Amino acid sequence: MANLLDEATYKNEVKGVWRVTLWLTIITILEVGFAMMYIYNVGGFEDMFPRIALNITFIIASLLKAFYIIAEFMHLKHENRALIISLGIPLIFLVWAIIAFMHEADAWYHMKGF
Amino acid sequence: VKEIMATDNVLEAHGNEQKGDSWSGGESPFKASYGKLMMWYFLLSDAFTFAGFLIAYGALRFSMPAWPLPDTVFSTFPGGIHEAPLIFVTLMTFILIVSSVTMVRAVQEGHRENQKGVTFWMLLTIIGGLTFLGCQAWEWTTLIAGENMSLTRNTFGTHTEAGVYIDDAHGHLYKEGDEKEKFEKGDTYLLHEHHVGGHGDDAHGDSHGDDAGHKKGHDEGAHGGDGEHDAGHDEGSHDDDGHGDAGHDDGKGEGKKPTAEKGGADEVHTIQQHPGKEGEKQFVSRRFVTEAGNQGHQEFGPYQFGALFFFITGFHGFHVFSGVAFLLVILLNVISGVYKDRKNGYEMVEKIGLYWHFVDLVWVFVFLAFYLL
Repeated sequence: MANLLDEATYKNEVKGVWRVTLWLTIITILEVGFAMMYIYNVGGFEDMFPRIALNITFIIASLLKAFYIIAEFMHLKHENRALIISLGIPLIFLVWAIIAFMHEADAWYHMKGF
Repeated sequence: VKEIMATDNVLEAHGNEQKGDSWSGGESPFKASYGKLMMWYFLLSDAFTFAGFLIAYGALRFSMPAWPLPDTVFSTFPGGIHEAPLIFVTLMTFILIVSSVTMVRAVQEGHRENQKGVTFWMLLTIIGGLTFLGCQAWEWTTLIAGENMSLTRNTFGTHTEAGVYIDDAHGHLYKEGDEKEKFEKGDTYLLHEHHVGGHGDDAHGDSHGDDAGHKKGHDEGAHGGDGEHDAGHDEGSHDDDGHGDAGHDDGKGEGKKPTAEKGGADEVHTIQQHPGKEGEKQFVSRRFVTEAGNQGHQEFGPYQFGALFFFITGFHGFHVFSGVAFLLVILLNVISGVYKDRKNGYEMVEKIGLYWHFVDLVWVFVFLAFYLL
């Protein structure tokens, strides 16, 4: 069962890891950079970029980071397709959970009289 | 007829072959070992647990008119640095990302059956995990001991209305155009512990020294004199101490955080104590008037915040802690050559690797929910 990799594949994989690391670093720096620009209102950033647009940017950036971690670090991209599907399908429930609970939270907000 | 029969036979034989192989075991449809597969499904269930917590956080936050701004919640950095929003948490994020990278390297060396490589990279991963835990311990200590946050007390007051602060010492509103004293809806500021006989507004202590501290005590005295327009105002009983102990209190306050509110250190802003029982901590906060002319008194922020923060970051921290424990056990096995003998490409290292990356993955969303959004 020994899974000895040849030298070329190994070098390629190591290179891939550093590439993903670079991407994760860049995305994190961008996220924090945007947040900082908003906090200190650099160059009228706060007025230029509405909070909701910033939040959507943060969510997309986080999902991208999650994709990189799952696909490359956890190696799921290179696993059997059936395994990917069996792990991915249940996560659809979370999409509904988020929609349902945010809708409910909105109702709580109005119940409090705001 | 002959042809058809031949085809049937072939089909039958083919069907039997398929059936026999698939149902008698020995095949792995997902091309993954049992252990790896079960780790994946455990992580899937754990993802639902964390999602449940984070959705609860989102729902409670969404149902509130105001919530502490993320950047004011943690803006300290070791070495006495304040007002450095997000920096410390970003450092923690990087530590976890780097420890995830070293973990992948350990898994890769395992595939090559390189015992020394696995040991080296796993050791670095453990160091990364311990560093992260140390950072979190410091963060919690600062929040609990320094900023007086607890499970049910959120010392980050958040304004629900826009307006201006009232200057109690002089009994009138701040002058027109004084930017410092206006606040917007959603502004967050840190409430300070009130020391008996002075108040814990440490920004003054840091910037102005003892004189300012004394002046503070004086202002408070004046404030006590005006007591009739303050509902729930119990400062009168402390007035005498206020003058005597101001300098002493200032000394104690040194090294603590300045206010997080916009405008920072004002000498004469309105302070008011929360009525508290004897021996309880008391906090200063501000009275304000809205643009419509209504007076308001800003108390603590939404109290669920503390419980959500400590529970979710604590649950994540517990995952990191147990991850470090498992990593240590597996590292010892690596060193003693257990996996070398198994000759399966250090699969156990791969399994703990999956868990470790998941911890990093969860942090991405904790970071998003608590510090970015």
